[in-house]
Amino acid sequence: MGTIGYLALFLALAASLYSVIAYFLGGKKKQLVLLASGKNALLAACGLLTLSITILMISIFRHDFQIEYIASYTSRDMSVTYLLTAVWAGASGSLLFWVWLLSVMAAIIVLQRRATGRELVPYAASILMIVQVFFVFLLISVSNPFHRLPFVPADGRGLNPLLENPGMIFHPPTLLAGYVGLTIPFAFAMSALLSRRFGDDWIIAIRRWTLLAWLSLGVGNIVGGWWAYLELGWGGYWAWDPVENASLMPWLVATAFLHSIMMQRRRGMLKIWNMVLIILTFALTIFGTFLTRSGVLSSVHTFGQSNLGPLFLGFIGLSLFAGFGLLYYRSEDLKGEAEMESMLSRESTFLLNNLLLVGATFAVFLGTVFPIISEAVRGTKITVGPPFFNQVNAPILLAIILLAGICTLIGWRRATPRNLVRSFLTPVIFAVIVVLVLLAAGITHAYALIAFGVCAFVLSTILYEWFRGTRARHHTRNENYLIAFFNLLGANRPRYGGYIVHISILLMAVGVVGSSVYAIEREATLKPGDATNVGRYKLEYINTDTYETASRLVVASTLSVYNSDKFIGTLTAEKYFHRSYDQPVTEVAIRSTLREDLYVILLNAEEDGTVVLKLLVNPLVAWVWIGGIVFIIGGLFAFWPDRRRALAAPVRSGEGG
Amino acid sequence: MLKRKKFFIGGLMLVVAMSYLGFMGFQNSATYYYTVSEALAQGNAIYERNLRINGLVVDGSVERVPATSTISFLITEADQTIKVVFSGVVPDTFKDSADVVVEGRFDETGVFQAKQLLAKCPSRYEPEEVETTKR
Repeated sequence: MGTIGYLALFLALAASLYSVIAYFLGGKKKQLVLLASGKNALLAACGLLTLSITILMISIFRHDFQIEYIASYTSRDMSVTYLLTAVWAGASGSLLFWVWLLSVMAAIIVLQRRATGRELVPYAASILMIVQVFFVFLLISVSNPFHRLPFVPADGRGLNPLLENPGMIFHPPTLLAGYVGLTIPFAFAMSALLSRRFGDDWIIAIRRWTLLAWLSLGVGNIVGGWWAYLELGWGGYWAWDPVENASLMPWLVATAFLHSIMMQRRRGMLKIWNMVLIILTFALTIFGTFLTRSGVLSSVHTFGQSNLGPLFLGFIGLSLFAGFGLLYYRSEDLKGEAEMESMLSRESTFLLNNLLLVGATFAVFLGTVFPIISEAVRGTKITVGPPFFNQVNAPILLAIILLAGICTLIGWRRATPRNLVRSFLTPVIFAVIVVLVLLAAGITHAYALIAFGVCAFVLSTILYEWFRGTRARHHTRNENYLIAFFNLLGANRPRYGGYIVHISILLMAVGVVGSSVYAIEREATLKPGDATNVGRYKLEYINTDTYETASRLVVASTLSVYNSDKFIGTLTAEKYFHRSYDQPVTEVAIRSTLREDLYVILLNAEEDGTVVLKLLVNPLVAWVWIGGIVFIIGGLFAFWPDRRRALAAPVRSGEGG
Repeated sequence: MLKRKKFFIGGLMLVVAMSYLGFMGFQNSATYYYTVSEALAQGNAIYERNLRINGLVVDGSVERVPATSTISFLITEADQTIKVVFSGVVPDTFKDSADVVVEGRFDETGVFQAKQLLAKCPSRYEPEEVETTKR
């Protein structure tokens, strides 16, 4: 059965290769017959890859342990849900999943009826198929998911129990879908360059694809952080690990891209810059895919050593070379239609936001690859840790957030100082009041005060803007306030979705600042009956219970929690010892409120009932996850098809934000 | 032209500010990364610095100090070993022959006092282990 899966990969390679050529020549010579056969080959490749991944899945469910991949990542006692996740649990399976997603997206692209950018499809499809050829080649040559062992093991190694978490179901596929989805704007951008269609068609054609991919990548990152917080048991959610950085970087550049394409649509500016951003985004997604599957950087979640490195680096180099080379040859034709008119304009805040996002990305990149650079240059590996990333990025990200507020208040083209003062007055007063209230409440940490003040400022600009829009509708159209508000939001979804995303970023920022500046942590060794304090809480250790379940031994320590002498509940911190897997799993106990999380880690339990615990109070963490949910809502809101779009004239239409 | 100059100066200031942030951050967190044998080859210089050291946990060397979170163990690479002491949250992936990175300093007795312990890694699986389970 596995042989058929492998064979399907070979045929998919042939079909993709044919499709590359047919689409390219067909696009160049405008031959409909060639284009049609390119399309058929593309769809056939999609069918073959679907067959291949289906066979892998069936083999997983049938426990065909002769296939090395299945023996390495699954076992007989795994539940159906986690068997399903085995497809992306390892390097070669996740690459197959990657390329399968690409083939499905490519199929949607060529089947989609589109009003704008139809002429761009042939070259774009050709480029998508080049990427597909590369990945299918990897699967056939160095990373074959159907590789057979010379014997049949009785059982597989199974899933690491640390990965048994809903995070395993959502985190890898959303992240991968984000990576793959960002290939599509790149393909259309290259197609625009190749076919000399320098207008806004390519941007209109890919805006929603980009948005969805960017949303998916963002959600993947947030779910990853949430998973780490619940499962990895060190009390944090982001460690600036190379693999985390690898998925943050394309997201940051894609964020810049989503903003700068608005500039091109509204004002015809930054055309070259948009190309640069999307080429970088694509290169970074491939880099991210690669980093996870190589041993080049020590990370908490690499897949182990592999020989994918040179091939991947070659492909990244080729994409950058071809992308920037083509851009250079066409740069004469990509002159902007307008110039910056004033420093005090929405354009300049967008430009600054772009520079800061790219700057933050560059800092993350430098910090991530620094060990490699220093080893190449000086022969010693020098690593930079989380303090580097925090110190560089915290001010930059704060500045970006501040700009989101300023941008809301400044009009396009040029703002006069007088109307600036008027529009800034309310939000600034609001921010000052918030800071004063916080000071009165005893928050004196300068950094936290600045950050909360900035967030309050930005929030009030957004709410004020919504209020003004609603009021205007109320007056001009006689709608009641509630209806006016919903109609306002619905009338320009991209714009108001953008605002909702901005609010989600504010919520996350508040959570991040609170939990990093005001976290309390301590260690305690307790005997049954002992009590200890952490923050406002008093914890009384009751006992440790040891019991066996079907698959594991559980050690569970129970604590009574008092808040200022009032009993508020019990917490149970546990350790699991799995019979089939030689590794303990620490299950932390978390009592989460909007104000703060009480987080208890069982470090050690002695025979006599003495336990060593780590106790943390993480203020405001819940807001990071709430922000994540708002992020999804805002992203989907902006993505949702706009009824007006069908009627919209192809002129520069309103899509500010 | 004046406008262009303004934007240019603004951009320059931005780059300078970001470089300054980067440099300060770098100074505060740059750490040498050695394998066990590389670290020992540095001689006395290693006593002055904050280091990250990579090696494999020697089988059976992990000892726990009762009623504390402190553990001690040996890490090895290229036939050389270093003794490490660590207190805090031990990652679940830490066990005999795990591939670990420790960050901290050597004390006067040549024991490495680790502030941080990283162990690879939830999604890492060595294919050869499939074969060992078979044998």
